[in-house]
Amino acid sequence: MALKDSARRLLREPLVHFLIAGALVFTLLSGRAPDLGERRIVVDERVVGALVGRFYDSFRRMPTKDETDGLIRDWVADQVYYREALSLGLDEGDEVVVRRMRRKMEAMAVADAETKTPSDAELQALIDKDPARYAEDPQTSFEQVYIGADTPQNRSMAEVQLARLRKGEAVSGPPIPIPARFDKASGHEISSAFGDEFTLGLRNVAPGQWTGPIASGLGLHLVKVSARGASQQPVLSKVRQRVENDWRAAATARAQAEAYARMLKGYDVVIELPK
Amino acid sequence: MRKTTALAAMLLATSALIGGCDQVKQVVTGQSEVKEAPYPERVYWGDTHLHTANSPDAFGFGNRLEPEAALRFAKGEEVTSSTGIKAKLARPLDFLVITDHSDGFASIKDLYNAPRSFITHPTMLRWYDMMHESPEQSIKAVGEIIDAKAKNNLPPELLNPEGAAERLKNNWRAHIATVERYNDPGNFTAFLGFEYTLMNRGNNLHRNVIFRDGGNRVAQVLPIASNNTIVPDGLWDYLDAYEKKTGGKALTIPHNSNLSNGEMFMLTDPSGGPMSAEYARRRAAREPIVEITQIKGDSESHPFMSPNDEFASYGDAGWELGNLDFSEKTTPDMQPGSYVREALKRGLLIQQRTGENPYKYGVIGSTDSHTSLSTADDDNFFGKHPGAEPSDKRVTRSQGLGRHDERQGWNYLSSGYAAVWATANTRAAIFDAMMRKEVYATTGPRMVLRVFGGWDFKADDLKSDWVKAGYQRGVPMGGTLKAGSGVPSFVISALKDPQGANLDRVQVVKGWVDASGQAQEKIFDVVWSDMDKRAAVGGKVPAVGDTVDTATATYQNSIGAPSLATVWSDPEFDPKQRAFYYVRVLEIPTPSWVNYDMVRFKLTLDPKIPLKQQERGYTSPIWYNPA
Repeated sequence: MALKDSARRLLREPLVHFLIAGALVFTLLSGRAPDLGERRIVVDERVVGALVGRFYDSFRRMPTKDETDGLIRDWVADQVYYREALSLGLDEGDEVVVRRMRRKMEAMAVADAETKTPSDAELQALIDKDPARYAEDPQTSFEQVYIGADTPQNRSMAEVQLARLRKGEAVSGPPIPIPARFDKASGHEISSAFGDEFTLGLRNVAPGQWTGPIASGLGLHLVKVSARGASQQPVLSKVRQRVENDWRAAATARAQAEAYARMLKGYDVVIELPK
Repeated sequence: MRKTTALAAMLLATSALIGGCDQVKQVVTGQSEVKEAPYPERVYWGDTHLHTANSPDAFGFGNRLEPEAALRFAKGEEVTSSTGIKAKLARPLDFLVITDHSDGFASIKDLYNAPRSFITHPTMLRWYDMMHESPEQSIKAVGEIIDAKAKNNLPPELLNPEGAAERLKNNWRAHIATVERYNDPGNFTAFLGFEYTLMNRGNNLHRNVIFRDGGNRVAQVLPIASNNTIVPDGLWDYLDAYEKKTGGKALTIPHNSNLSNGEMFMLTDPSGGPMSAEYARRRAAREPIVEITQIKGDSESHPFMSPNDEFASYGDAGWELGNLDFSEKTTPDMQPGSYVREALKRGLLIQQRTGENPYKYGVIGSTDSHTSLSTADDDNFFGKHPGAEPSDKRVTRSQGLGRHDERQGWNYLSSGYAAVWATANTRAAIFDAMMRKEVYATTGPRMVLRVFGGWDFKADDLKSDWVKAGYQRGVPMGGTLKAGSGVPSFVISALKDPQGANLDRVQVVKGWVDASGQAQEKIFDVVWSDMDKRAAVGGKVPAVGDTVDTATATYQNSIGAPSLATVWSDPEFDPKQRAFYYVRVLEIPTPSWVNYDMVRFKLTLDPKIPLKQQERGYTSPIWYNPA
């Protein structure tokens, strides 16, 4: 129990993590062959602690001395086999090993990008590349009267109703659970209620008088646009969060792609077509 | 030095190392104040139930998309799914709640990424090896993990808050930071939340938790795991403490009652004793709404309780046969405790006895997708988990995780979404609408439904500003009728999805307690398309017809109606009888996702597999209490 506890404590030590990780980094960055030509296998407290801990979790008791020796012998065998297998190149073509290593490398590549903060200039550049994406949706204020499904009958009815509206008479169509009047509605809001077709149709309507019918996913509408805001240039201070999110998502993807491109440069990829 | 540490941390992927400096960021919106409408004028669409790579099962299934990808997808951005398919919503959502399992939050991801030599637990080591071996083995490992969870037999290292506290804290804070970055008041609401995966021997008692608050409050707590408990009291205690500590607010939403073998909506308290008024009150206060439809089936109704309802079996196939892990088959006597309509009736009965209604539920739909992709459109359905993402195999693949074959891919529904009548697109406004139950569920289509209940609504009301009148003279869906005399009347208006199918009919589902103390139900067809040509026969409106061409997975809006509206009064009203009324709206038949798959992948399918369906919306009820 005491050994397990101390092993556990040890395993929680950041310093230990750091040392192991450092060794791994060194190993990975130096190419392959983790034994670096050094034919030495060290059985230290950490190793024994982990082995004993695992045994304890399985059997709920400490191993005897013989059992501990057995665990250590087996662990040494693991290391010997592993190193010999690597030197024989047995990891090559093993999809599991290959994928695992790739994932680790990819994770390393994006670690930096995730903690960086972009400058205002970088964010502004992103806005300038696609201002429409960050521009506030131009807002439209309008009224609409719903006529019903798009049928020839309803199209004639729309004509009649339009004439009445233009004379200033009150006209109501079938009741629907969306408002008759929209005040400063964004394109997204209009599309959400009527569908994209209507939003596009509405764009071509001259403000000031009843017109139509305009078709939507719901049928036919008569509309009167009272005001239409102009599309405004996006201002960084107003859209900072969105731009930064995009910047970060792009930076992460780019970091990965660049890291790969850098590594790829060191290789000659030869495609041999069958003769 | 810093760089080396970061590298080391990544290699170890013990997020404890990178977590130290991780401060939860306050959201900087920069936008002006969000304007609130005087009353809800538009409906907001969202998903209250989505899993990412932080959910242990989702990760094991192969989900590698983190919360950020889930948020970007919901906002309408294109992302690449875990199986490498480009995915984009035809229409963005207005809000999203990422609800990763709190049991083992991010643990399988961390386990997978840990150095093998650090894993001491033999079972965890076994899962570790399976996950690294192949996608098939990984899915098998998840089967074992879900089994172990159902048997309350997970290795403590995966759950134990002591050993895992630091890891959990860092994962939780990283999650909060991401959600805060994407919450954009007025445009897109990203809620903080988690799923509390409560289970009793495989009987699904899961709840989703939604916080009304931002990271400054939510980061003061860690998501609580259900561990080995089998009653929700621990969750409610936790949320009471959260509210007291932070001044914040939270609600919970039960789901998949259809997999609870009768335990979600019991007539008794969880121990089998009589339900106390205190339990009923507490449950109702914490659980204003229930998830009535999702990918793992629809929980509205079952033909066993509703033999006269020809639409009752929607989304029941497969799911009705057993509990979540199929460790226990379902017997008919269990069904009443598993479906929402019955819960609403039982709520009345319990209220009759105790004065409190524990099941006074509003309803929402959501996906419960484990792909990080909130898809509920049949022509763009990414499935339950990465193993069920689009492929020529998914329709007929067994979903029993190697343990049983009763449930197959085609049993999944491409369902559903939550519709919320809120005064603005903000956390506060949407949360508050959920608390007052002014919400409804659909199986995916974005149809617009409005209901007001009162005592003096007349057909003429529909000719003027009936929405304003509805709020002034009545209560909206989710409300309780004010005191009044005469007969309750309801203003009901339904509109098709602007990019979807026409409507077949609008029905009112009434439940009440009769003079002998028995709960009853009845369905009224109140308005339907082509009423002049489709006269009711024997109290039933004939079927609307069918334009689906399964060879091409298409349909025509040549039948049905784009909008249906009426003012309906209850012809059988008895002022002495406690009652509820909710609206069910059916679309005309349309192709199901299975049909789209069949065409897309040129499949030859067993004729018993249905290819079309009538999608639907369910509103929250309006209740009547006798004086």
